[in-house]
Parts: sequence; C-alpha cells; structure tokens
Amino acid sequence: MFELVDHTEDINRLLARYGVKFGIYKNNEFHEQLFPFDPLPRIISAEEFEFLDRGLSQRVRALNLFLADIYSDKKIIKDGVIPEDFVYSSKGYLPQCEGIVPPGRIYSHISGIDLVQGKDRNWYILEDNLRIPSGASYPMIARELTRRAAPSTFSRIHISDNRNYAAMLKETLDYVNTGGINVVLTPGRYNAAFFEHSYLAERSGAVLSMPQDLFVEDNKLYYRQYGGKKLQVGAVYRRLSDEYLDPLTFLPESLIGVPGLMDVYRKGNVAIVNAPGNGVADDKGIYYFVPHMIKYYLGEEAVLRNAPTYLAFYEKDRNFILEHLNRLVVKDVSEAGGYGVIFGSELTKEKLEDLAEVIRTEPRRFIAQEVIDFIDLGIVEGDHEVPRKADLRAFVLAGEKTRVWPSGLTRFSRNPDSFVVNSSQGGGFKDTWVLSR
Amino acid sequence: MGAISIEKADRLFWLGRYTERVLTTLITYFDFYDEMIDGDEEAYRTFCDKIAIPDIYGSKENFQQRYLFDQEDPNSIISNMERAFDNAVVMRGELGTYTLAYIQMALDVLKGEGGRTDAPAYDLQQVIDYLNAFWGCMDDQVEDEVCRNIIKCGKYLERLDLYMRLGYPAKAVEKEFSKFVNRLHRSGLSYRKEDEERLAEIVALGDGWKDRGEEALEALWSIF
Repeated sequence: MFELVDHTEDINRLLARYGVKFGIYKNNEFHEQLFPFDPLPRIISAEEFEFLDRGLSQRVRALNLFLADIYSDKKIIKDGVIPEDFVYSSKGYLPQCEGIVPPGRIYSHISGIDLVQGKDRNWYILEDNLRIPSGASYPMIARELTRRAAPSTFSRIHISDNRNYAAMLKETLDYVNTGGINVVLTPGRYNAAFFEHSYLAERSGAVLSMPQDLFVEDNKLYYRQYGGKKLQVGAVYRRLSDEYLDPLTFLPESLIGVPGLMDVYRKGNVAIVNAPGNGVADDKGIYYFVPHMIKYYLGEEAVLRNAPTYLAFYEKDRNFILEHLNRLVVKDVSEAGGYGVIFGSELTKEKLEDLAEVIRTEPRRFIAQEVIDFIDLGIVEGDHEVPRKADLRAFVLAGEKTRVWPSGLTRFSRNPDSFVVNSSQGGGFKDTWVLSR
Repeated sequence: MGAISIEKADRLFWLGRYTERVLTTLITYFDFYDEMIDGDEEAYRTFCDKIAIPDIYGSKENFQQRYLFDQEDPNSIISNMERAFDNAVVMRGELGTYTLAYIQMALDVLKGEGGRTDAPAYDLQQVIDYLNAFWGCMDDQVEDEVCRNIIKCGKYLERLDLYMRLGYPAKAVEKEFSKFVNRLHRSGLSYRKEDEERLAEIVALGDGWKDRGEEALEALWSIF
C-alpha cells in the first residue's frame, strides 16, 4: 500500500494526462477540473461484497418491477402499498411513458446506488440513481493506473479486477439491442460528465453520438454518417435527461434531442438505456417505499437498510420532522448532485424557522433523514493520513441477469467538517477494492 | 469504415489542421525568435506578414510572449492548440485515450508555461515532441483508415497552406501536395476536382509556382 501512497502524484499526473476530469458550471461559465484521486482504496472483503451483492441485486430487481408496474397495471397503487398521489406528483413520473414496454422489460439497466457504512458497521442506502448515474469510469481508469504504479501490491493482495466494467456495459447494451449499433448519446463536451461519456464509448465499442448525429426514419433510429450513409441504431445509452431526449414528446422548445425518438422506442425498435421515466423510482420520496416494494414484488425482506427516513408528506412524519429539525438532514427531492441537502444542525434558529415554514408549505418537496454517523476513511493529505467522510456508489447492471460490479466509486469529502462528498461540491474519489478471497 | 458522422468528419479534419498549424508555426516561430536574439528585432513583422495574421504586437518582447500564450489572441499558438484540443476531445472513441493524451499534454505544457518562459525554443520543445508523438500514435493506434485519411487531409492541407505562405522551396511544396492529394482521394470527402487540377498545374511549375502563389492558395481554400 505504501507504494501507492508514494505514487500519489504520479497517478494524479497520469489521470490529468488522460483527461480524467469533470465539468462544473460556476457563474454560468464552464470549467473543467481534475477529480482529485486518493490512493488509499476502500477495501471490501469478499464476504461483505457477497452481502452487498445480494442486497443491491434485490433492490434493483424490485425497482425494475416497480417501474414496469407503474407504467402499466399499477398494482402496487391499487393494493395500497404506495399512495397514488405520491407517484403521480413525482417530477420523475412521465405520463408519456405509460404503456411502453422496453426491450427485455428492463427499465433501469445501469443503477447507481449510493450507500454509506455506519459506525455500527451496517450499510445504509442513501439514494438510488436510476436515470443517468455517473462515476464508473473513474475507478476503472484509476485501477489501470494504480496497477502500473504499484504492481507488487496487486500481486500480493487478491483484488477482483474492475476493468471489466466496459465489457459488462457492452453485454447490457447488447442484451436489449433491437438490431444495429450501440451508441452513447451525449449532450456534448460541455456536459459535466463528458469524460465518462467518451471513455465508456471508447471502452465498450459504442459510438459516441451527439443528438444531431441521430435521426428517425420509417420508425427506426439511424446514425447519420458523412457521405450520406446511415447505420441503424439498436441501443442508445443516453447520457442526457429525459426531458431533452425528444422535443416532439417532451420539451418542444428544446434544441437538443432526437425528434421522433420516443415513437421509435414506443414501437420497440430501439432500446433506451436507462428507460425514460425512471425518475419516478429514484425520487427521494419514493426511496422511503423501496423496502415495501421488495416485500411486495419479491416476497422478501430487504437485505440492505434505508437510512431512517421521514416523509414530510405524511402529517405524523411532518410533525416529527418539525420537532427534530435541528438534528435531521433535510433533502429537497427535486435536487441532485449534493444540492438541496440541508443539515439542521448547521442552521441558525432563524434559518431553521424559515426551513420549517417551507416544509409546511411544500411538504411533498422534502424528506428528512437521521444523520448517519458513517465511518471515516483515511485519505492522504500531505505526509499524513487524515479521516474523511466517504460514501460508495455501487453500480448494478441489469441485462440477462442483474449483476453488481465488483468495485464502485468511493467519493470523499475533502472538508473535515463536511458529510457532502459530491465532486461538484469539491469532493475527491478513491478506488474500491473488492477482495476476491 | 467505422461510424463517422458529418460532425465527426469535420472535427477530424480541423483537428488535423489545428495540430499542424501549431506544429509548423511553432517551428517557424523558433526560427524567427532566433533571428530576433541578436539580429533583426523586427523580424516578427515579417512573420506576421507571411502567415497573414495582424501585427498587433508592437514590440519583439510583446510578440514573443503574446503570440505563444495569449488566449485572447485568436492567432496565438495556445489559441490554436485549444482549438485542436476542442476537436480532439470529442473524438476519444476514434482516436483512443492514449493517442488523445498527447494533445492534452501539449496543451498542458503551453498552459503550464503560461507566458513565463524566457527560453521558448527550449521550454516548448516538448509541445513539438508531443505533437509528433500524437501523429505517430495516431498512425499506430487508429484502426479506421477513413478516419486517418480525413485527419491527414486536414494536416496536409494546412501544411501546404503554410508552406506556400512561407515560400518554401518547390520540392517541399510538391511533396506536401502529393501527400495531400493521396489522402484527399481516399478520404471520401467531397471536393472540387477543378481546384485540385488547378493546384496540380501550379505545383508542376517547379520554382515557378511562386509566380502563381496567390492563385494556388485560392485553389487550396476553395477545394472543399
């Protein structure tokens, strides 16, 4: 492990060389930043990973069944497990997706599930990301480089190879492909995760495409080649939000997107990965109901726990939240990327009162959670190792089978007083080692 | 042939042009810089005139720094390198991460120097090395022949343009023209045959091409 620490600068230099960056908008200007890498990995034992694997696969299977149900029969609503209003008032619920059966009946092909490990050693799910979760490319390329920097570490310690992510992604895309090439659809180079889009396209052999490269003809989707030729597209790994996918279905004023794409999808002539409309299942409010879904669809108890969560939507929970606001973390369900996360303990009395008022006025907008005292991981700062809060984004890929990638993105806060680990908030990342024995 | 969209073909072509522009103008800059050390202090004016950029510099010192590092100057080396990078970064799938890295590193050297160098021909040698490594890596790693032909079409068109402006000898111009045409024919890009023929006729004049230099450049610019 010392070899890795000794090579911290070299590894970060190599990451810069290969353009491992993320974009951020500040004052309406786009800036690209290096994603600071810490060489000390998060280590997960084989037994622990086996447990996580069971819990994460179970969760994603249930979420996929939920999505299939919500956009068809809605049995879970009819059976009173999830309140109707709760689903239909979700911003992520898209009526335009009603009745669509995606190829392979899979909705969330690539799920990014955020977890933390509490000081009680229990793992808690913080949130599900079923739309366009990003981050797999960072540990993937970091592993490539750390193996170069510290070969003896990797021959001494038995670590599952995580460089198979692109192959897993390709298998996932191929499984739902309706005939034609796979493309990674990116909004363009000024997207925060553009590095990842281009890297995953390269590694999985998919064609990186901008919306203007694609067009619809005779209910099929094509990639427009120069010289007038065209190639049929069978699977679109889209990295742009639902509302920008197709201006004819969603935002008519949008200048990006592929006109007619949703019609092709509706007819089953192309797979969209992940399916549009998944936002209803990764809504921070719906999160509360995931253990109920697991019981309902699979007849099993949830293997992995949610963080204790209260829904301001319910009067009883709302009263609890308002009474204990100063010790809870409040999340705006419409925000992502670490935005809209408010720690009650950090607010003045006046600000707490303001927040309470907003919660009373817009209860559906907020959830509140107990602050999990999650374990610190060591990071290298100068010549020292210092403890910092870190979470884990696990990636679960659903194709013929639902599989958990034996790695994940461990994000950490660089601020000693902060629980917020998002890259957009200044966090860094670590590799995640899953021991193979 | 791989899947290359119209936009990607355009990106490849301009990646070739900007990369070559940085390479050739940087090498030429070194020659003029050398001249300005203890010779003609105003040699930069000739440089600007030859490559047809406005002389906004006013002094040798200003030129030496701004032409290299001024990101606000659209003709500076760093601005052209930025444009090369902008075109390259969206082509990771076609070029490959290892090839793309040389463009990133060339840009990083320029940004790292940031106008502080007082020995540019020494400090910026790395930029030339990285760009040459880029071309070598590209030849070795990029499997798609059409992709290679388009990018080289851009490269040789730019080189021919610069060589003509800089008044290179007939042999050098003829050689670059031959390379350009070779790639042009295999690129699948649509072009004006009559301009190619006009260029061929002028280049065939040997040293006499300079008498019809303007016409040659016009033909080159209107070939696409």
